[in-house]
Parts: sequence; structure tokens; C-alpha cells
Amino acid sequence: MTASGADRFRNYNDVLIRHERDMRVKKIMRAFIMFMVILILVGLIFFLWRIEQGDVPFQKKQPPEKASVTHSSAYSPGSPSTL
Amino acid sequence: MTQAELDKEREIIERSRKDPRAFGELYEKYFDRIYNFIYRQTDDEELAGDLCSQTFINALNHLSAYEYRGVPFSAWLYRIARNEINKHYRKNKRKNVFSIEEMKVKELIERSDEQWDEELVQKLINFMKDLPTDMLQVLELRFFEDKDFKEIAFILEITESGAKMRTYRALDKLRKNFNIKVRYDESK
Repeated sequence: MTASGADRFRNYNDVLIRHERDMRVKKIMRAFIMFMVILILVGLIFFLWRIEQGDVPFQKKQPPEKASVTHSSAYSPGSPSTL
Repeated sequence: MTQAELDKEREIIERSRKDPRAFGELYEKYFDRIYNFIYRQTDDEELAGDLCSQTFINALNHLSAYEYRGVPFSAWLYRIARNEINKHYRKNKRKNVFSIEEMKVKELIERSDEQWDEELVQKLINFMKDLPTDMLQVLELRFFEDKDFKEIAFILEITESGAKMRTYRALDKLRKNFNIKVRYDESK
């Protein structure tokens, strides 16, 4: 009784076409993932190589250098150095 | 299912792994059964057609992972179909639908010692509408699809004793409400 409409949907060629499309998508996805993994690995190797070479792209920020201030007790307003 | 039939199916599966066109034989063999199984749980011909196609596509896509586990290949198809139905209901946030055919209910009563009349059939259909989904699933597979407990357990992803327990509970409810004793071969 319920199978009366079933024949309308019986189409193995369509199933095969969709299966082949799924397989193609799967292959493309697999290739893309492989490509991304290789890209990340190459990037990582390149980054480590640059660190080893001492050419680090980002270094720890050094605090600004302060000028050394010396205190001189010999200073007087009338001294020749102020002229 | 005889051993010769099982061997033939396994041979077709082996061939299908290399050439998907060989799978057409199994498609033709099981299409109606899977379609009806889905139709009974959706009550929508278009949707049943879509889900049925998706079931066979999924089966073909994952055929390399299929391995024989002591149940016929059809049980694997029923399992995929059941997952597709559940996925559909989850996605659409709808409640499961069970379409109970009068003919199938009559078949169920014929297994009992009772004489059936239209009123009893209608009462039984109304009663089955109120049964929990897990009980309906097990009744459907057991009596409408004629599956043994091993296959039911495989399809519903439960243990064999769990499948038996669900069937007993469902039949117990039938017995209490309608005084119907359904005969069935327990060893099957």
C-alpha cells in the first residue's frame, strides 16, 4: 500500500551521480586539509628557522633607557660654566 | 535468510566496493522495504523518497567501512534509514510520526487467538498512537518488518535483551488493554 508511490523515487542512476559527487567533494576536502596542514607545517618550520637565525620578528620590549644624572656639588651660579 | 543468500550479498558488497554500479542489485532488492519503513515514520511520500535516496547514498559512501556482524546487510540499511529519520526530526524540531496501517494491525491480531473486527482494529490503532516511540519502533520492526531480536538490537543500537524487554513491555500493554495475546516465536 505504502509502496505505491515508491516507484516515483526509485532511481539508481541519481543515487550513483550523488554518490560520485559526494566522493569528489570528499577528495577535494581531503586535499584541501592536506594542503592546509602542509602550509601550517612549512610556516612553523620557517618561523623556527628565523628564530634560530636570531632574526626574531618580535622581541621583548626593552624599558626606555634613562639618562644618567650626576650630582655635582661644585656648581655655583657665578661659575664660568654658566656664562 | 539462508546462508547462500547471505554469501551472495557479501559477494555483491565486495564487488560494489570496486564498482558502485554493482550495488544496484541490492538497491533494487531493498528499496521498497526501506521506503516503506521510512514512510511509516514520516507519513510523507516526498520526504520518504528523499530520505530513502539519502539512505542508499550514505550506504554507498560508507560501504568500505561495512563489516559483517552476524546480521543481514538489510539491517545495516535499516540502521542508516533510522539515523536519517532521527536526523530529519532533530533538524526540524518535530515530533516523530508513526503511520500505522490497518492491514498491518490486522496482521498483528491474526497472530493472536482473537477474532478481529473493525472496531477492535480502530481501538488498537488509537492505543498504539499513545505508545512511546521506542515501543512502537520495536513493535514495527518485530511484527511489521519481521525482524529477529538480533537484527532489532543492531538497528536500534541496543542490546538483544533490551530489544526483548521492549517487545515484552509493549505486548504486555496490549494484553492488559485488549486482552490480546500475540503469538510469536521467541527463539527467532
